[in-house]
Amino acid sequence: MPITVNASNDLFSSTSFSSRASRPAKDEFDGEDVAMSDAESAEAEAIDVDEDDDDDDDERLFSLDHNENGDGDARVTGVVKSRHIVTPGELVTADSMWMRGHGTYSVGTKSYSSVAGTITRVNKLLSVAPLRGRYDPKIGDHVVGRIIDVGTRSWHVDIGAKQAAVLMLGSVNLPGGVQRRKSESDELQMRAFLKEGDLLNAEVQAVFTDGAASLHTRSLNYGKLRNGYFFTIPSSLVVRSKYHTFELPGGVDLVLGVNGYLWLRKHTQPLAEQGVSITRIAEEAGWEIYSDENEYISVNLRDTIARYANAIKALAYCEVGVNEARILAAYEASKEYKSPGEMIENNVKKRIAKYVLLSTKG
Amino acid sequence: MTSRIEIYSPEGLRLDGRRWNEVRHFRCAINTHPVSSDGSSIIEQGNTKVICNVIGPAEPTLRSRALLDRLCISVKVIVAPFSTIERRKRPQNDSRIQEMCSSIQHVFEDAVIAHLFPRSQIDVNLYIVAQDGGVLQACINATTLALIDAGVPMYDYVCACTAGMLDREVLLDMNRIEESDMPFLTMATIGATRKVSLLQLEMKVQFDRLEPMMAAAMSGCHHIRNLMDNEVRKHGKSRRQMGSL
Repeated sequence: MPITVNASNDLFSSTSFSSRASRPAKDEFDGEDVAMSDAESAEAEAIDVDEDDDDDDDERLFSLDHNENGDGDARVTGVVKSRHIVTPGELVTADSMWMRGHGTYSVGTKSYSSVAGTITRVNKLLSVAPLRGRYDPKIGDHVVGRIIDVGTRSWHVDIGAKQAAVLMLGSVNLPGGVQRRKSESDELQMRAFLKEGDLLNAEVQAVFTDGAASLHTRSLNYGKLRNGYFFTIPSSLVVRSKYHTFELPGGVDLVLGVNGYLWLRKHTQPLAEQGVSITRIAEEAGWEIYSDENEYISVNLRDTIARYANAIKALAYCEVGVNEARILAAYEASKEYKSPGEMIENNVKKRIAKYVLLSTKG
Repeated sequence: MTSRIEIYSPEGLRLDGRRWNEVRHFRCAINTHPVSSDGSSIIEQGNTKVICNVIGPAEPTLRSRALLDRLCISVKVIVAPFSTIERRKRPQNDSRIQEMCSSIQHVFEDAVIAHLFPRSQIDVNLYIVAQDGGVLQACINATTLALIDAGVPMYDYVCACTAGMLDREVLLDMNRIEESDMPFLTMATIGATRKVSLLQLEMKVQFDRLEPMMAAAMSGCHHIRNLMDNEVRKHGKSRRQMGSL
């Protein structure tokens, strides 16, 4: 008869967890002499805070276990620049003076890491940034997303986060200018503006307590995307910066979403440069901002777009962080290859990434 | 038990030359399928091989699945037809596989800090590529690594190991031939602690022999935690060197 015992829900209640620190050194099931007990003693070492007690408080910040990562930076004095890698269940600090941020959980005064990542410290706040993970929206992020659902007075947008973002009807520019009032007819024809599958770029306007984001496109920099090519890279590789729209050589624009969604498109003149006065820009925005029709894109331009896309994918393959300088360097490196199709080979990707790292070091 | 094959020789050696307390060759890799999933891993324990893909935490595929205060995990186990000696296609709703899915799901629903992700879902897909005993333990270990790769907050590693009892001898981490010849249990612990999150025993065993089996399995779990931890650290270090951190 099968017997299956699963953990009860209160397994992790603080009382049961506190036994962790005072775990008996000797095996209770003592009948057998078990060879693999080195795992146990190692863990016991990790639990103990560093024995050498220096005057500096920060000295006692991190636990160091036996298979330490080599660099002495881990034992930080002052600023945490260590990038010390911790794994789930590892003691981060036993000192109650620290505030616990994301990526940690606490049992009594001790706090442990809950993800594999690097410790970061802001004043008294300790958090662990995971090595990889889904995109975590922050207010002000420039993201690229895809409409997955049209609801009542709002759209649901996939931005690669833990939950779908919402784009309220009130947070988009509608044809006819900013001052225009939203009427019931707008609610009825929401699909005429944005429908399922449409791509758009937007800014994160607010983040709800459960982590879901609310977007807005109330600027002509944002809105529906066309004339281009969409692809994704891991969001952890995108470096947040002041600008996320770049005009690249070869007549290509890049929208580098902080969420790792990217859009490469044919370069278009911003409305402001087409001789429309600043004050009238919003009014000039007509139905064309919601147009579904692509302009003519020449074969050469398609080739350039493919080259940029493969160059960025090469960087992502080698897990190199992506920014404007690196994209330009990767594009330069890719000119060695006649056709962008050659760049899908893994050794070519590695060569490109190597070149980029060398040329953008300084 | 009588058998034509000698499972445990008088010299204390098993069929594959191990001692009673040695785990099989353990090989694991993390972030093996970075494009198709949020977290992925491959585990090889002896000749058993499991690939795990984790997708999420993400918006639930079905609205009705969403839990308002915590994340839900759905586990799918796919057994390759070529994974065992006789090639045959198993139905997806095989009751043994479904039982395995639900026990893995229960283990990880408690090991993951679930309240951080309300109204979201994690899909765990496990592909059993080769089986030579200890399939459940390999699945649990693979899921742990893939969840860590996906950056899902967990209290600690969940690590699993099997132990069997041949007459009065405990054998750790058994292969398929050993499994078919003696009672064995699968145990999963939370990290290198003594907290047991899963204990599965499908055969009859004398009560006083249960404790030595559990002790051996637990030490095996702790050993496997160390091996997985080393791999995760190695991966983290290599990412740091690439400058993506």
